[in-house]
Amino acid sequence: MPTRSTPSHRMLVRLLVAAQLLYVLGVAGAGYATTAYGQHIVLATSPVDLHSLQYESFVRLRYTIAEAPLAAWRGPTPPQRRQGVYVLLSTGADSLATVAGVYDAAPPHPAAGQAVLRGWVTDVFPHTLGLRYNLERYYVPGDSPLRLGKTSPPVRVRVSIAPWGQARIESVRLLRPTASR
Amino acid sequence: MSRKFLETESPAWVAEGIISAEQQQRLLARYPTEAVQAVGLLPLLGSILLLLSALSVVAANWQSLPTQVRLGLLLSSLVAAYAGGEYFLRRGNRRVGHGLVGLGLVLFGVSIILTSQLYQLVGYDVSGLLAWVVVGMLLSYLYESQALALLPIMIGAAVQTYCTQALGTFSYATLGLVALGSGYRWWRRPDTIVASVLATGLLWQAALWVALSHSKITWFFIPAMLVYAAGDWHPERSASRALQGPPLIAAYLFALGLALFGETDQYAGLLRPPVLAYLGALVAVFGLSVAGKRQRGRLASLPDWLLLLPGFYLPGGLPLAVATLVVLYAHAGSVLARAHRSGEAEQLTLGTVLFVVATMVAYFKLTWAFLDKSLFFLIGGVLLLGLSWYLRRRNAQRLAAGVATVAAGSATPPGSSDKTPAA
Repeated sequence: MPTRSTPSHRMLVRLLVAAQLLYVLGVAGAGYATTAYGQHIVLATSPVDLHSLQYESFVRLRYTIAEAPLAAWRGPTPPQRRQGVYVLLSTGADSLATVAGVYDAAPPHPAAGQAVLRGWVTDVFPHTLGLRYNLERYYVPGDSPLRLGKTSPPVRVRVSIAPWGQARIESVRLLRPTASR
Repeated sequence: MSRKFLETESPAWVAEGIISAEQQQRLLARYPTEAVQAVGLLPLLGSILLLLSALSVVAANWQSLPTQVRLGLLLSSLVAAYAGGEYFLRRGNRRVGHGLVGLGLVLFGVSIILTSQLYQLVGYDVSGLLAWVVVGMLLSYLYESQALALLPIMIGAAVQTYCTQALGTFSYATLGLVALGSGYRWWRRPDTIVASVLATGLLWQAALWVALSHSKITWFFIPAMLVYAAGDWHPERSASRALQGPPLIAAYLFALGLALFGETDQYAGLLRPPVLAYLGALVAVFGLSVAGKRQRGRLASLPDWLLLLPGFYLPGGLPLAVATLVVLYAHAGSVLARAHRSGEAEQLTLGTVLFVVATMVAYFKLTWAFLDKSLFFLIGGVLLLGLSWYLRRRNAQRLAAGVATVAAGSATPPGSSDKTPAA
């Protein structure tokens, strides 16, 4: 094992540092590309509890699509807790996304106006499915209107989904900008 | 002989004419003042403090900085830390060099977290944090440094904590990386501190797994004893004991808890995993451990496994409490006996403490509820007296043997008679 400062050791260290730089740049690039080339959908949430902002820098978003009727399940076997799923979303008349189907494998051909979001089953209830999208934690930027609010406002979340499936929150918009007064 | 002892005593020797003043000076020069022992941790702590101060300055203005500037700041400080580390290492200053490399590793993690936050990618998956563990592992192989060996273990524990608490999943990759990566590094370059931290980190991850999967908490002891069994196979005794410390402490605390609270069937019911699966796994690990002990000639430490006897399958109440106490007494006795054979003072103290603890548990749990007080203390007292009589007899025998050896005038080195019982 190389432990002294031999040329091969220095070479390995340089490679490792370069790999770290590339990795961080890759994370940034993936974030940028998701917005630039991704598909954009708008999600509704239940009112956001802003109390957590007093001691943390993020809020927890509870999407309406976090609950899907069990009838929307499209899979050969019943859904299991912690199972990874593909959620087919279709945009309604009010431009909000609703669950059109929950698949255990990637759905074949989403139609126009439909999008696929990766999710995980959190609970299986008698008539509904609890779903998690890993978009629930939202880091609230310092200039966000959410920082000024005192009550629990209804919000609209704009999410972009990259062609390779990665999704991220693009922006969170207050439904009524009067909440802060 | 410590330097301090020399400093305080040598003037008297000069005054009494045992040594001359010049010889005193030569003796003092022979034993220079030792460097502070804990200095190995200082670069680590220093890098953490530096990092915190830099973080607070940048964090105050972070939100107002443009994206490119933020990325640039992160990446340039990362490169600067690694470059500085290499620079100091080449100049021969290993401590500062390794501290800076450690800082670079910490900055890599911070860069991943802050960049993900910048793009709201946090919580998507664990792969970003996994990359942090991988890099830490590779660095620990590239540099011969204790601090850099400890960092990936701690990072792994932190990543696993985040995964289970925030994402609600258990990252088997993180566990595997720490167990195999850090484990192999420890195997090749044994070190007692790394061993203890490694075992603690692995136990922590195992505990997180148990908590997340809502398994019976007794399943925790399968991975814990696997760590213990790994220690049995290691050729170096001190490193192996250091690795086995945390699992043994956990097992002892569990047995103690069973003795204290086990009489209520409600608690014992929480501990009973399916009999065949649990016992099968435990026996498999036990076999592995015994094979290791036999291979390395350490069968004397076999009574450690007494703590793992699955007493919780007994019906709660008196049988369970008594059985656990018997196990605790037997374990304390085995530690005492082993300490006597090896002649280690620390082990003897440990055994005595274990014995006293078992007696105290017996007093508080049993005496006024179930058993006649006097009977229990009679047994405890007789056990203690018998043990002391046995120890004294052994001492006398050994003394006699030593005298005989000296009388025979054989050329055996003085330490050889101490080592024979360990074989």
